[in-house]
Amino acid sequence: MLTSLTRELLQSLRTALEALGAYALFGARLVVELPRALLRFGLIVEQMHNAGALSLVIIMLSGLFVGMVLGLQGFDLLERFGSEESLGTAAALGLLKELGPVITALLFAGRAGTALASELGLMRATDQLAAMEMMAVDPVRRVVMPRFLGGVLSMPLLAAIFSMIGIFGAQLVGVQLMGVDSGQFWSQMRSAVEFGDVMEGVVKSCVFGVACSLIAVYEGYHSVPTAEGVGRATTRTVVISSVVVLLLDYMLTAVML
Amino acid sequence: MPIRQGRDASATARDALVRVRGLHFAIGERSIFAGLDLDIPRGSITAVMGPSGTGKTTLLRLVTGQLLADRGLVEVEGRDVASLRRTEIYRMRRRMGMLFQNGALLTDLDVYENVAFPLREHTRLPERLLRHVVLAKLQAVGLRGAYRLMPAELSGGMARRVALARAIVMDPQLLIYDEPFVGLDPISLGVVLRLIRRLNDTLGLTSIIVSHDVHDISAVADFCYLLSGGQVIAAGPPSALAANTGDDVRQFMHGLPDGPVPFHYPAPDYLEQLRQLG
Repeated sequence: MLTSLTRELLQSLRTALEALGAYALFGARLVVELPRALLRFGLIVEQMHNAGALSLVIIMLSGLFVGMVLGLQGFDLLERFGSEESLGTAAALGLLKELGPVITALLFAGRAGTALASELGLMRATDQLAAMEMMAVDPVRRVVMPRFLGGVLSMPLLAAIFSMIGIFGAQLVGVQLMGVDSGQFWSQMRSAVEFGDVMEGVVKSCVFGVACSLIAVYEGYHSVPTAEGVGRATTRTVVISSVVVLLLDYMLTAVML
Repeated sequence: MPIRQGRDASATARDALVRVRGLHFAIGERSIFAGLDLDIPRGSITAVMGPSGTGKTTLLRLVTGQLLADRGLVEVEGRDVASLRRTEIYRMRRRMGMLFQNGALLTDLDVYENVAFPLREHTRLPERLLRHVVLAKLQAVGLRGAYRLMPAELSGGMARRVALARAIVMDPQLLIYDEPFVGLDPISLGVVLRLIRRLNDTLGLTSIIVSHDVHDISAVADFCYLLSGGQVIAAGPPSALAANTGDDVRQFMHGLPDGPVPFHYPAPDYLEQLRQLG
């Protein structure tokens, strides 16, 4: 009984390590392709439009609501200590350092990540990637790299927009609705938020961008070429991305605090 | 009605563009080829036929360097495909065109951009010259007027003709067709058959067609190979294969439901099984 359990655990560990190795190899291949991919910046811009610009509405709406909730909850908490004027600082730090990068990454995985994975999976299922191979065009270079880089470059921009709109939402609730002094709200934020706090969010969103984009293109590119296979790749993209983002968030926070 | 134009009978004797000798290939435990020998003569249309699962598409993947043989020789233009590096395989593929079963057009590009795709990737032709080349290829397949349509707006036959225009846009030496007749209506089928013949003859190509559609293949191919059990069981002009009296060949060529390939999947005795199941 114990032996079979141990064997199963070892097997699971081995499968996980193999998957990690496959991801590392694929990532290394993307790094090798990087200089050549940057030469065709037009393709990357196109993919930034698909992954970034088309995610703007969901990012802005979510940012607004998260900021508004933060305004309400923050006001409720700070009022107990008589320091409601610190609401701006609390909202800004919470959004810039934590909520902005994390929620943007989770939303990105759900919208752009799934779109990337299913697009690549369908291209494989309909022989489009094989056709490129036969036309002596490397699909990793022509299709995967621009999508990967488009995602990587979009994420920090989306996170910045999320945080900006979120702060506006917190101000909307805190200042306009709950009556926090506008001058206090902004001046406390300006004096308390430092460059390092902003950079923490930027670093996080860059790391999340690499992770989410890599997972999406890997899962899509290696999907089984059937309807079920593409569906499974899409689901795996969201699940793996979400877990990895939260795990990385903890690790990065622990390192940067 | 045969579309063949009476190519000389000595076509097989000419030097071969593709030469396969003693090919062994297995996927896992399952052997696909066990000592396969065949030649694809230059300038001809050669059909590779056989029942489903005999490895016809696998053979194409071996010829194009997408798979490597376990043992034996696959030679294209006198060069062993297994010995080529990745960049050399890509260089070889630039002289090949391939038509996939469903066309495999890039769905986010329109017809014009699909045909222009290999040129944009491999050449730096000025836009004006590129336009001339693309429109000429589309004219050759009769779809110049459809150049702004998206792949989703094309019928199955049109999509395959666009894919054919894309396959010839780099002026290849070897054109490979993987099941080109599947799902085509009679008119589209006739168009594709004539295009295959016309393009082969006017552009001086060598063509390989993989199919199990005996009737349509007979109308266009100069030479046929019939594969079964990992080996060539018959070779010759379509008429010779049709007249072949061997059990395997006759069953395939005439579509007989029972023969060396049995109608029934191997099963225990029916009565015995019913008794066991109660």
